[in-house]
Amino acid sequence: MSRGDAVARKLVTFGRILREAGLEVGPGRLQDALRGLDAVELTSRDEVYYALRCTLVSRHDDLEPFDVAFRAFWELAPVQQLGGRPPDPGIDVPTVPPPVVPAQLLEEVPEDDGEEPEQAAAMASPDELLRRRDFAQMTPAELRRLRRLMVQLAALRPLRRSRRLTPAHGGGVLDARRTLRQAMHTGGLPLERSWRRPKLVPRRLVVLCDVSGSMEPYARALIMFLQALAAPDGASRHLEAFAFGTRLTRLTPHLAGADPATVLERASTLLPDWGGGTRIGESLGAYNREWGRRGITRGATVVIASDGWERGDLDELDRELGRLARQAYEVIWVNPLKGHDGFEPLAGGMRTALRHVDRFMEGHNLIALEALSDALAAPGERRHSHAV
Amino acid sequence: MAEQLPSSVDDLAASLREHAYLADRGLATVLHLSVVLEKPLLLEGEAGVGKTELAKVLAELSGARLIRLQCYEGIDVAHALYDWSYSRQLLYIRTLEAGSAQDARETLHELFSREFLERRPLLDAIEHDDAIPPVLLIDEIDRADDEFEAFLLELLSDFQVTIPEIGTIAAAVRPRVILTSNRTRELHDALKRRCLYHWIGHPSLEREIEIVKARVPGVPERLAGEAAAFVAVLRELDLAKAPGVAETIDWTQALLALGQEELDAEVVDATLGSVLKYHEDVERVRDRGLRELVGEARAR
Repeated sequence: MSRGDAVARKLVTFGRILREAGLEVGPGRLQDALRGLDAVELTSRDEVYYALRCTLVSRHDDLEPFDVAFRAFWELAPVQQLGGRPPDPGIDVPTVPPPVVPAQLLEEVPEDDGEEPEQAAAMASPDELLRRRDFAQMTPAELRRLRRLMVQLAALRPLRRSRRLTPAHGGGVLDARRTLRQAMHTGGLPLERSWRRPKLVPRRLVVLCDVSGSMEPYARALIMFLQALAAPDGASRHLEAFAFGTRLTRLTPHLAGADPATVLERASTLLPDWGGGTRIGESLGAYNREWGRRGITRGATVVIASDGWERGDLDELDRELGRLARQAYEVIWVNPLKGHDGFEPLAGGMRTALRHVDRFMEGHNLIALEALSDALAAPGERRHSHAV
Repeated sequence: MAEQLPSSVDDLAASLREHAYLADRGLATVLHLSVVLEKPLLLEGEAGVGKTELAKVLAELSGARLIRLQCYEGIDVAHALYDWSYSRQLLYIRTLEAGSAQDARETLHELFSREFLERRPLLDAIEHDDAIPPVLLIDEIDRADDEFEAFLLELLSDFQVTIPEIGTIAAAVRPRVILTSNRTRELHDALKRRCLYHWIGHPSLEREIEIVKARVPGVPERLAGEAAAFVAVLRELDLAKAPGVAETIDWTQALLALGQEELDAEVVDATLGSVLKYHEDVERVRDRGLRELVGEARAR
């Protein structure tokens, strides 16, 4: 066996290890890596490392698992390190998974709707009743029906003007290309003119959902709602979702495709704090640092769903929410408690937050979510100056 | 190929250094591979770490032309590849009219000939007749939208484009392509698969001092060291926008212009605006105490 073959075989094994570590390594990449190795000094550890890295890794998040695998495989470090990423303060994927999932969250919901124990109010349709019902008081069967209704809830999205142009009737910008084509028929006289105007495209929607103890029943329904929003195009191109309690977790990759129970299950294995306290300011800070800094907030409609019971520092909440609000197109705060009689935003966190919030909405039942959906589709006048 | 690019990683690194670009071994290796394998290089990293600069220096040291395509939202083929010169076409039709009765088909053919083609950066990069392949910089690709990314994907796999009225144009010699992204969104896997990927982080303190010395001629040793160390201290604070190398260079230039030999709290206070670009960051750093931070930087 030639030396080249030996390298190739080793590389294939290495590729397999990387795939196990979650990287997408196809044959094309391996081929590039092999060509890369050909072009560097094989005796130089650094050159080999970077030749493999630039051909086999294509995203920043994969650098760490790659490094671990590289050390393990090419430098014979103990293999059991594989997959164990050092904890990253701020936003992270916990490596120890003790998912404290509230039992009812994962409970298998029976297929048949069954007899509802309370067959009250014969005049209203069952769906109508369900729409008004507080999420916190729903039975599993009701939750199942809720899912259906949520999908029906037209997932209208906030729109914004793109800089891309689309053909239009009259007005806008002259479409020179078309106009010229038409002029060909009239002896070069541009009698008929074509126009283009900015296309409307979905505005990015960023949802931050509080999943701490007090919010748990509502969070469940909201995640369902997010799925309904994500469903039409299946993708997350215009939707970013995060859950927070004492820390922040990105939900976006878990929304598409799967049925709600699976998402909740996945979300809850990711989230160490279903049922924990809330550190809103800190979580928003983590969001701003990790995601906002990259420009995700800019121009987006940001929905924050939380009861506003801040266990952390109010100044931090003020600062971080302020930073977020200055970058966002608008901030909508959804507070399920607002739908309850006699609600006053007395919680310190809520009072602080309202300074930066453009719209303050309920979120305790389906009617409230319908209102939210309408609000998303028809953005209000943006408040330009945020009182500080 | 007509030009001589260094044939080993070490030589390339040395050559970059001669052009005042201090690349670490990783970056030099990746750039070398991108040239040898003729693959586009995708650079990601925080703002101000020298992604764009690398393309400029590569062009400089190979004696090639730099063709830059700045991406923005809504960029399309007419901005990036080619467009027709409509006003000239219209004028041409009018002059024809005055003259004779040419048949329409022929007119059409002439109208959509190269004479009326307006070349944009991508076409320029593909259809070049430079002796040395040009460097094509596709800057901030993450700002363009999905449609444009899909279009680029096609272009980067074959280095050829089709203009319906003219035909297919292929690159005789491929340009060297560098793409940069600030990660405002994740790029498509398919696009990434066409490229070599490299993440540029903030440099180590030693390297940053070297970079400052290379970029700011005449800077006192001590000032370069203290400025770089101070910026390193700043990066450890929890700021909205951590300063990049570009900021360190700007700042050192400002300090030099003020005739500083070393840092002191007053002059830092006066020039903080060239390092930090957010008001809340400036406040935060002032709250921490500039005197203490300068002391911390000196200790490094």
